[in-house]
Amino acid sequence: MTTHHNAVSYWFVAPAVILMVVILVAPVFVAAVLSFTDYSLGNPGFNWVGVTNYAKLIGRSTYTKMLLASATYVIVVVPVSIGLGLGAALLINSVKRFGDVYKTIYFLPVMAALLAMAIVWEFSLHPTIGLVNKTLASGCGTWVQDLLGFGWVPWVDSDQSWFVKSCRDGFPLWFGDRTYTMGTIAFIGIWQAFGFNMVLYLAGLTSVPRELYHAAEIDGAVAGWERFRLVTWPMLGPTTVFVVTITTIRSFQVFDTVESITQGGPSKSTYVMMYAIYEKGVKQNLIGMGSAITIVFLAFVLFLTLAQRHLVERKVHYA
Amino acid sequence: MIGQSSPFRESIKHAVLILGALIVILPFYVMTSYSMKSQNEIVTNSGGFFGIQEQFVDEYCVKLGNPRKSCMETPIIYNYVQAFKKAPLLRYLLNGVIITASIFLIQVIVALPCAYALSKLRFWGRDVVFGMVLFSLLIPVHAIALPIYIMLSKVGLTNTYASLIIPWTISVFGIFLMRQFFMTVPDDLIDAARMDGMSEFGVIWKVMLPTAIPALLAFAIFSVVAHWNDYFWPRIAITGARDLYTPPLGMRDFKGDADGSNWGPMMATATIIVTPLIVAFLLAQKRFIEGITLTGMK
Repeated sequence: MTTHHNAVSYWFVAPAVILMVVILVAPVFVAAVLSFTDYSLGNPGFNWVGVTNYAKLIGRSTYTKMLLASATYVIVVVPVSIGLGLGAALLINSVKRFGDVYKTIYFLPVMAALLAMAIVWEFSLHPTIGLVNKTLASGCGTWVQDLLGFGWVPWVDSDQSWFVKSCRDGFPLWFGDRTYTMGTIAFIGIWQAFGFNMVLYLAGLTSVPRELYHAAEIDGAVAGWERFRLVTWPMLGPTTVFVVTITTIRSFQVFDTVESITQGGPSKSTYVMMYAIYEKGVKQNLIGMGSAITIVFLAFVLFLTLAQRHLVERKVHYA
Repeated sequence: MIGQSSPFRESIKHAVLILGALIVILPFYVMTSYSMKSQNEIVTNSGGFFGIQEQFVDEYCVKLGNPRKSCMETPIIYNYVQAFKKAPLLRYLLNGVIITASIFLIQVIVALPCAYALSKLRFWGRDVVFGMVLFSLLIPVHAIALPIYIMLSKVGLTNTYASLIIPWTISVFGIFLMRQFFMTVPDDLIDAARMDGMSEFGVIWKVMLPTAIPALLAFAIFSVVAHWNDYFWPRIAITGARDLYTPPLGMRDFKGDADGSNWGPMMATATIIVTPLIVAFLLAQKRFIEGITLTGMK
């Protein structure tokens, strides 16, 4: 073991410790204290308002809508982006050729600045001149309409199908109609996140011992699904715990798409927490309220990370 | 890979993967294509991927009193020139480089000595410091952006380069990663350096740093990608001071100003902002994927 080097050690850890305290720990306390006040930047002082800010969080419809928006986003994006990530990883792992090409393509959105891509998506989904709606509309009156109208399925009234209706009444305002907005924002989130999850699953798959598949086969698990259920999925347990945690935390932090496209609208349907912190705390200078949201947000993140650590320490294999 | 698949099943798999790839690529296609087309081609959705590059008259140029003849523009050139002329895009890119480079350098300067002390030196309170590192890993900086913003504005630092860099100077994850890596460096190597009369400080930069290059590279990729693309923190820290804008802020500003007639230049801006990292990624895919995922493993 190395010798003692007391004095010099403190010089080495001091900068990191000081910065940790000032930048990471102190702000948590600052937010906690300010969440009980009505502080605004520029004011000389503040009043203690007790739990008023937290009461508003529960009571006011703006904030219940905020919690609902964040929850909706997380509940949609986490399972879908993980499912697609896992699906892509399994497919890429099982094809004989071009696996690396797909991997590269699916990873591109992870590298691209989300803000820039959000704006591009907004253009692509523009109601009148966007590529998506134009392409969809060009299918009207052709075999595409017949196919997507589902009139060929027994007992389906193709006049009532989404595609035929849209051909008649116009394709959706993806960011203007509240029926679609949250879904579209979530779609962009999934588009951006699933490649990241795919790569983690691909790494997880390489660590599954091949003997296990042979063993499963000998035990009669011949079908692909059986092998997945008995070997692959349990062995991916630790990867899944990690992927779920990081995707959930990141989804809670969604901001770029909301700020640049919807600003929380229409009628607060995409008013997610990070955007609320920015709007209340920074734009409207309602620091007390912004701090209260910050604390609730931190509580969520802390809970999730601790739950993950707990699961990892128990070395879950879901079996 | 596992089990045998018939050619039919193989082609079904490829069909699904190709469909996915088309959806993933769609916005990249739109972005690069629009960045080369004229406004008219964008609105009418004509001209194919590259546009037909027919010259058009820049009405704004005519309004300024120039003869129509000297106001003829080729779409692709016009779009990319406008991207730099309409807004100080070069300045934004430079800011992006300055900020991401500074953040990474400071992170390393702060984290390496700490990681070395935590892994190779004995001192009273070491476990406490490491406990702090583990605890701080729980706190995402974005989540505490508001109190950090308040603290910075109390000391008058908002709207400065410092405000863009300071919150990221401490990377507890970097400390954690480097400590784990240093644990695997044999003590003999360090002892030998000490025998040669090297100071502890010298050991960090001349012995530990070179052994840590692969880990450091992964961390560099992680750090640079995160901060080049970050929009949330710059949005909060910079209000109005345009010469401090980072590329995403500049892009957002461009969109805010656009009156619906500047799509070509705007898509050119997006292309310019997104391209450096995409190209770097395509050139060194393995390293990038390693950097993004390994360091994502909190």
